Amino acid sequence: MAPLLEITGVTRTFGGLFALSEVSFDIHPGEIVSLIGPNGAGKTTLFNCITGTLPPSSGSIRFKGTDIVGKKPHEITRKGIGRTFQHVRLFNRMTILKNVMVGADYNGSAGILSAMFRLPRVRREEAANRAHCLEILGLFGERLLPRLDQHADMLSYANRRRLEIARALAASPSLLLLDEPTAGMNPAETQGIVELIHQLRDQGQTILIIEHKMKVVMTVSDRIVVLDHGEKIAEGPPREIARDETVIEAYMGGRKYRA
Amino acid sequence: MHRVQREFLAHIPALAILLVLTALPLVVTNTYHLQVLIFVGIYSLLALSLNLLNGYIGLLSIGHAAFYGIGAYASAKFTMEMKIPFLAAMLGSGLTAGAFGYLIAKPTLRLSGIYMTLATLGFNLIIWLILLNWMDFTNGPLGIMSIPPPRIFGYMIDTRAGYYYLILFLVVATLLSMHCLLDSRFGRALTAIREDETAAETAGVNTTRYKIQAFVLAAFYAGIAGSFYAHFISYISPDSFYIFESFILLAMLALGGQGNLLGPVAGAAILVLIPEVFRFLQEYRMFIYGGVLILMMLVRREGLFGRDRYSLRWRRFDEKETVVYERGDKFLPSDH
Repeated sequence: MAPLLEITGVTRTFGGLFALSEVSFDIHPGEIVSLIGPNGAGKTTLFNCITGTLPPSSGSIRFKGTDIVGKKPHEITRKGIGRTFQHVRLFNRMTILKNVMVGADYNGSAGILSAMFRLPRVRREEAANRAHCLEILGLFGERLLPRLDQHADMLSYANRRRLEIARALAASPSLLLLDEPTAGMNPAETQGIVELIHQLRDQGQTILIIEHKMKVVMTVSDRIVVLDHGEKIAEGPPREIARDETVIEAYMGGRKYRA
Repeated sequence: MHRVQREFLAHIPALAILLVLTALPLVVTNTYHLQVLIFVGIYSLLALSLNLLNGYIGLLSIGHAAFYGIGAYASAKFTMEMKIPFLAAMLGSGLTAGAFGYLIAKPTLRLSGIYMTLATLGFNLIIWLILLNWMDFTNGPLGIMSIPPPRIFGYMIDTRAGYYYLILFLVVATLLSMHCLLDSRFGRALTAIREDETAAETAGVNTTRYKIQAFVLAAFYAGIAGSFYAHFISYISPDSFYIFESFILLAMLALGGQGNLLGPVAGAAILVLIPEVFRFLQEYRMFIYGGVLILMMLVRREGLFGRDRYSLRWRRFDEKETVVYERGDKFLPSDH
């Protein structure tokens, strides 16, 4: 099967610093790929390159066979890449339902004039969008559903993360990028996210996930890509990566540095 | 209760206010009092239109009087020289202001933050200077005199009460259209941009396009207000559209609150009424004007009706989402 996302030789420099150098890997439809590496390895930078927030200095990123380098973030989202952020970014003074609806809104066709006069077409579109978003919020059980009309800044930390995932899912992305979805969560909450990821995989969702908790990474991933100092140092199924010398070296500090 | 019934009941406060405002000219017959109320209406329109930019999308525009002026001059030109009927001229002046809004938004939105704000100020000054110096077209500092009163479907509006009803209609129409608009994907996109532009862009919102649209829309409403003003006062000169006027609008938003539809109207009403109510204090009344603003900044920085969700709905009749707690969810530690 043709890969959904092809990353080829992506390099991103900040001045003389190589945040990413010549990173290449593919993601196939239905796969869950984890991106791991020590802090500062370039994981989030790679996410920013994929979503257009920060264009790569060189290299190509192809999504569904077309080059997406140089496209604006909203265009890339519309093509089918959704993401969450390492530091949760919500629309704080909007209700939870509206936060999610923004994610689904680009599907809408209502223009300014038809919205001004609230034509029947607009009403139908709004109702459909609302129903769709309620369904997505339902993925999180009763965590978010009872709080539809609360402002997002009233939510607990874990719920804020959940809401961000819901917003990304509302756009029905072909590829979902999750940046540390379980950061700051307790074991029970982390388990909830793992279950959610499994549920999404069963629905055929392709996911690229940055994660630090090895237990999560080993449970959810079909494949793991390891970055260190902006370079890809390993790629493979979880079992292989767990035994890989270079990976252990990058994480634990290599033996060669010891006296 | 049936949904339609409940919707109606939820709107009772708004309908009651509308009823009172409609009946007001029967009680208030003093032309001066009506004139003051008409100005409350004009400034409500202007503050509401500026609210789209400053309150909803979070762009700080401080040159809004430019669009007000463009609307006023356009309407005068349309009716006096091109002999276009009033309603078409009013719409036309809104569209003219909107077109200028597009012309200014397209390049300035490339600037961010304070630079864009300064560009709007510069735009206001440029428009003022053009109105002041282009003698052939605008008659310069002398202004345009004897602008005809509005004639709608053969009916001439020439009483204060007539103008009152016209501006009441315009304000209500503006409120309704803005309400519908802001409750749609357009409104959600604007608020999302205000809250977090990067996140909005990542959620698929074409931020640049929405900003331009909001600018054009705000200019359109201000142009309509300008058109009404021109035909109401029947004399316009550049000084009515100087940057001072823009600052008054900003003060109205600061006082009344922004990001909802009640704040701007409240701010406009208070700041129009203060100088009139305290007229007996003569020049000193401006101290009260300033004092109220300072007091507001001290005790309630977000304005009378701050950014939160203020509306005239009677919440009692709002549809409630049914909440089912199955696993004692609210007692889980993560939710606090």
